[in-house]
Amino acid sequence: MKKINVNITRTDNTVSTYQVDYHQGMTVLNILEQIYRHHDETIAYRYSCRTGLCTTCMMMINGKPDLSCQKTAELGKDGNLSLAPLPKGTTIQDLVKEQ
Amino acid sequence: METLTTDVLIIGSGAAGLSAAVYAAQSNKDVLILDKGVIGRSGSSTGAVQIAGLGEWSDPGDHKQSYLNDINVSGRGLSDPQLTTRLAEDIEPRLKQLIDWGLKLDKDEHKQVAISHTSGHSVPRSLSAKKGKTGLGITHTLRKKATNSPHIQTWSDVITVDLIKASERVIGAVVFDLTTNKTYFIQSKAVVLTTGGIGQLFPITSNPVQATSDGFSLGLSVGARLIDMEQIQFYPVSIIAPQAIAGFCISFYHYAKLFNNKEQRFMEIYQPDTLEDSTRDKLSIAIASEIAKGNGTPNQAVWIDARDAIEQVKREFPHEYKVCNDRGVNLAIDRAEIGPAAHFMMGGIQINQEAATSVPGLYVAGETAGGLHGGNRLGNNALSECIVFGAIAGMNAVKEAERATILSVDPSLWKASSEYISHLFSATNGRVRPFQLKDEIQAIMGQHASVIRTTEGLETAEKQLKRVEHNLASIKITNTNVYSRELLDAIEVRHMLRTAKAIIKASLQRQESRGAHYIEDFPQQSETIQHTFINNKGGKLIARSQPVKGGPT
Ligand SMILES: Cc1cc2nc3c(=O)[nH]c(=O)nc-3n(C[C@H](O)[C@H](O)[C@H](O)COP(=O)(O)OP(=O)(O)OC[C@H]3O[C@@H](n4cnc5c(N)ncnc54)[C@H](O)[C@@H]3O)c2cc1C
Ligand code: FES
Repeated sequence: MKKINVNITRTDNTVSTYQVDYHQGMTVLNILEQIYRHHDETIAYRYSCRTGLCTTCMMMINGKPDLSCQKTAELGKDGNLSLAPLPKGTTIQDLVKEQ
Repeated sequence: METLTTDVLIIGSGAAGLSAAVYAAQSNKDVLILDKGVIGRSGSSTGAVQIAGLGEWSDPGDHKQSYLNDINVSGRGLSDPQLTTRLAEDIEPRLKQLIDWGLKLDKDEHKQVAISHTSGHSVPRSLSAKKGKTGLGITHTLRKKATNSPHIQTWSDVITVDLIKASERVIGAVVFDLTTNKTYFIQSKAVVLTTGGIGQLFPITSNPVQATSDGFSLGLSVGARLIDMEQIQFYPVSIIAPQAIAGFCISFYHYAKLFNNKEQRFMEIYQPDTLEDSTRDKLSIAIASEIAKGNGTPNQAVWIDARDAIEQVKREFPHEYKVCNDRGVNLAIDRAEIGPAAHFMMGGIQINQEAATSVPGLYVAGETAGGLHGGNRLGNNALSECIVFGAIAGMNAVKEAERATILSVDPSLWKASSEYISHLFSATNGRVRPFQLKDEIQAIMGQHASVIRTTEGLETAEKQLKRVEHNLASIKITNTNVYSRELLDAIEVRHMLRTAKAIIKASLQRQESRGAHYIEDFPQQSETIQHTFINNKGGKLIARSQPVKGGPT
């Protein structure tokens, strides 16, 4: 199976890297679910509706703010999928902001 | 454990909880509304497309009585007349108030409030706001009102673990703050439960990830009675593939066509008069029967073809069109694979027309409450229920708070909750991860408690759930950081198990097919109309049946 390289900026500003199974059409949220289940149970992210309405799943995806449940998992210019918390506001843990 | 106090505690902040908060705060009582997700943005309310209602815009042929008739007919004899009457009476003033607070209803090309037809309603009475994002429109309006109130305190990311009872009254709740990993006892004079539905008990659901049935389990734990828990509405036309949007609801099926893998428009056989414009129970049973017969796609779905009505789809449901398109399904060219998804709990904690339960101090509203929709909820009546009964619950909780006093409480009352939380923090050597237990429950419910049920299947489910209960004792949690998804999953799975058991018990109790409960061994509707009730007696769930009020009709 094809794999993609995912870099996630954590609470302490370190970056964790994961090699995640990838199939076409996966959203960024699908990738995060794979990471929580099979790679790292400590990863923290937030979502609710999965349909682009609640906006609680918003994060920086390859440097741009976007909804992780709607955004197709794609590689950025550096060949990785890079995820980070939104820059504004207080971070609770990893990708989770106070809302 | 730290103790906090408030006059009224509201658990869950969808349309029902926010309505309760805003109406409760019209007194000068202190109101605390909390949510395990982000306040006002974590429930099914966010996804709701339209709301049914009456107002100055209504069709000339529409009035309270016709609305009431439609609900009663749709409920298959199980709707409680006290509740349906209250809904029909209160919907107009509640909607008017929301409009006064800033909700803008969508207009038609003549600049009049747009009213549209929904299957099962005898006249057009569905309203929308924010172009089909009505639930968002309503929760925004209420959230703004709540944040501006000096009497309302909001608290996100805090999950309710247990309700606490003393001298037969509910006196508060034990909650766990996910952002600090601290546990609190919140003592209150009245509690309103508005925790939404049960979708996450099933593998395919339209519901948000928070819909883990917590409220039903919390109610059961303090002795509240559950009514007609077998009545689960499956949304007939939900996306099955691609997986990224599995469970996504398609609203425009009444002007699209459904086909099986033999290219038959099968609704011509099941409902020749209404075709796809049928009620959700009948449509779900038809689709599930086709799939069970082997007439489905390899993904266990059937096809929806909306190409002939695509302009209307784009105009009226732009969000649905876009979400499908973004995932590679262009409805202007392609057909989509659809099937039933767990959508709405019509049963729930039994309430009366004052939103009161059988347990003093406990009020319930919205999807967690049972009795209004009976065996089949009419489309767009869930939001109506939330704004009407949310308001009633809020106002009555305040009246209760005026009568009650905060007494000093013996900490032994929350000892078990405290021990339970400590156990989660020391479960590093366990065997099963919390999400695996959730998966197990979903697989069992998906296989045995979906649209088509059998006695044998339900009995198997009962046994399999016992195995999950056994596994729960060996839960493994290694991440005890703040905002640990494992801790959240673990607390939720305990609620899920309790509610799943209640659903299976109620389904075995109803030995007939009525409304959304279709059981192959008893395919007919029986002559006497009975409710099923589930009670918790000393930790054991007891099921019984009782004829509906007013006797057989
Ligand atoms: C996709 C979709 C589309 C729908 N479309 C329509 C429609 O068009 N018209 C219509 O009338 N109805 C529709 N419905 C149904 C309707 O949206 C819901 O029944 C209704 O909004 C439920 O509102 P509620 O306030 O009872 O619960 P919710 O809005 O679900 O809110 C419950 C809240 O409680 C919180 N919570 C749960 N457990 C706990 C706990 N243990 N501790 C703390 N907080 C907790 C949750 O996080 C959540 O925020 C739709 C539902 C879905 C899923
Ligand atoms: S989860 Fe709601 S917008 Fe992404």
